[in-house]
Amino acid sequence: MFAVYCREFKMVTHDVGIILFFMFLPLAYPIIYSLIYNPELVKDVSMVVVDHDRTALSRELVRKMDACDQAHVIGYATDLGDARRAIDSHKAYAILEIPEGFARKVGRNEASNAVMYCEMSLLLRYRGFLVASTNVMQEFSSELMTENIDRIAPLAETIATGDLLPVHNVSMGNIRNGFDSFIMPGVLILILQQCIVLAVGMAGGAQRESMRLTGYCSDNLAPSVFLTMVAQMLCYLTILVIPIIFMLHYVPLIFRFPMAGDALEIFAFILPMIFASFGLGFAFQSVVTERETVFVLWVATSLVFLLLSGLIWPMYDMLPVWRWLAGICPSTWGVEGFVKMNANGASLSQVSGPYLNLWILAVVWWVLGYCSRRWVVRPALMKLSSR
Amino acid sequence: MKEIRIADRGFRAIMLRSLVQIVRRPVYWTGFFIFPLFMFLFLTTMLEKGLPTRVPAAIVDRDGTSLSREITQNLGGMQMVDLKYTPNSFSEARHLMQKGEIYGYFLIPENFKADLLAGRKPVITFYTNMTYFVPASMLFKTFKATAVYAKAGIVMEVAQSAGVDAESLSSMMMPVNIAARPIGNPQLNYGIYIANSFVPCLLQLMIFLMTAFSIGQELKYGTSRRLMQMADGSIFKALAGKLLPQTVIWWVIVFFMTAWLYRYSHYPMHGSWGWMLLSEFMFVPACQGFALFVVCVLPNLRLSLSVCALIGILSFSIAAFSFPVPSMYPAMGIFSYIVPIRYNFLIYIDQALNGIDVAYSRMWFVAYIIFMLLPFTLLWRLKRDMNNPVYVP
Repeated sequence: MFAVYCREFKMVTHDVGIILFFMFLPLAYPIIYSLIYNPELVKDVSMVVVDHDRTALSRELVRKMDACDQAHVIGYATDLGDARRAIDSHKAYAILEIPEGFARKVGRNEASNAVMYCEMSLLLRYRGFLVASTNVMQEFSSELMTENIDRIAPLAETIATGDLLPVHNVSMGNIRNGFDSFIMPGVLILILQQCIVLAVGMAGGAQRESMRLTGYCSDNLAPSVFLTMVAQMLCYLTILVIPIIFMLHYVPLIFRFPMAGDALEIFAFILPMIFASFGLGFAFQSVVTERETVFVLWVATSLVFLLLSGLIWPMYDMLPVWRWLAGICPSTWGVEGFVKMNANGASLSQVSGPYLNLWILAVVWWVLGYCSRRWVVRPALMKLSSR
Repeated sequence: MKEIRIADRGFRAIMLRSLVQIVRRPVYWTGFFIFPLFMFLFLTTMLEKGLPTRVPAAIVDRDGTSLSREITQNLGGMQMVDLKYTPNSFSEARHLMQKGEIYGYFLIPENFKADLLAGRKPVITFYTNMTYFVPASMLFKTFKATAVYAKAGIVMEVAQSAGVDAESLSSMMMPVNIAARPIGNPQLNYGIYIANSFVPCLLQLMIFLMTAFSIGQELKYGTSRRLMQMADGSIFKALAGKLLPQTVIWWVIVFFMTAWLYRYSHYPMHGSWGWMLLSEFMFVPACQGFALFVVCVLPNLRLSLSVCALIGILSFSIAAFSFPVPSMYPAMGIFSYIVPIRYNFLIYIDQALNGIDVAYSRMWFVAYIIFMLLPFTLLWRLKRDMNNPVYVP
């Protein structure tokens, strides 16, 4: 087994393609991705105002809106058509229309309505506008209400001195509500899985190819299929140790993602996912006849794994067929457990469900990987070598 | 790959050869048909509901009075939330969240009613697990609404007891109201965002890969020399014959995709079908042009495929389907404009979602043309390598 390990190590270090997967993918990809989303929040999105009222009150409303973190008033438009043109030419993403009589209604103790039209190309922008308008509305209303009540019945000090029932909200796990901190921890796990599967797949393709082109077969030396697989995995793991530590520990550190979990527990958790990914990679080898086909056959699956992980769309709301498919992907459970440990500070015992599933998957994929190596890859290699 | 024995030369022969190659290898079927079709089905069925409903949540009622029970009932009646648990303490609720049983919880403190009536201002707090953005945002909205209603009810009661008449109170509660009108997607359907951007982006990835793969194969196995002979030494003829059948296949697929998304799945189509179809049809050669350019720069199967895969996958983030370009670092945001899918996305927003005049999106169509013309700058390089293919394993 040690001989296989050494031979495999030599082969891998001489293969630029596989080294690329082992080095570039886990080292550069997390950084590029994190940089894209690193500003975390969508701030100061442009909007225009159509003010039919033109009173001190309406101007105050606009000022308050502009003062919000999320919105930025770029100017006044004369009418809705004008404002619409600003939206159409991609200069602004929302219109705040204040109707005539806005201040008068407030003065008469009637409810006054303003309308905000939001362009819906991106949900994050809409969300920002919604938060901004809700905050402005509440702030404005409680100010006016206190004033009014005080005027009508100058009594209730409880009301006059401000908020009777303060409401607080706390964002757990991702305290800044940032997009990077939301998506990246999951993506890190996906990158890890894909990196392993692609590299193992490519190694399988390379083996078949070198047989075909040069007649050299490395598998003939092997004592058994299973031991070869173990040796190969150990060899790849030796190379991957540093990238894995970098990805799971240093990338969150560099980009200030939530890191509430215990590092050792996280690595203990991720171990079966790594095993399962290797098993998946060995199973994948059965369809890889040439090294480059791994790109065509596997790269696009990243998207499927991402959507199945439950990060974007919650798992409980998926169709049973997709939930079942998600269940057999190592990444699903890996993402779920990692996010919970890393962001929500769950302990290993709290993610025992995903952890157990990962061990089961590791066994299942290894059995499938063994079958693929024993009954598909090996006969194919034998056939090639006898030719 | 074995040589295909077609004696005659010329354009038609090259096209036939290219088609036969596609038919013969399952890897081409996967790239051309299986992945795209699977993705159409996968994305549209997964996001069919538009928004997740009945998000699992919990309420921690430390007060246990009629008032706190009323709030619990109000919350439980909301459409978006499924009050699965009623833990006794904050820590219990937090453990449930850490285990993933719930996405958030609502906390009513001890002595809530008594404090409220005595004017000691108790605080209602709600917690949402923002590591799951979409369901947590739904919960946030529901929790906030519940808290605001509760507050309004209480303020009304207090004010009424102080002698304010009920009629003037109701308008006083919310004197200023800003109604948000989401234009083009009033149901806030999340599915249209994911499907309409991810499906074409996946197509871009597959077009990149298949273009680079099919040309790279010729270089790898040295069959490119024969291809050049068939084309009488004209690189233009060789590539056109090689890629045109693929273009036609992709056209069929994008036509199907457009129908699938906007007709079958009823995603918003507020503009003209014509411009949308034109955009999709131009998108295909634009992607092929981009991939061909990569092949020209790196005439090696492995390298060009790696680069295409890299860019194709990064496009899902860099093309800014969810996080807007102006919010990115300028040094990153600039890269969103180097991929064809960005323009496809912008045209989709203008034409399908917003349905505005095509003049506003004319520049995006020009960008497609630039992508198509891109490889012509370096074809001479590819010609040299096609004539002398070297495979570096």
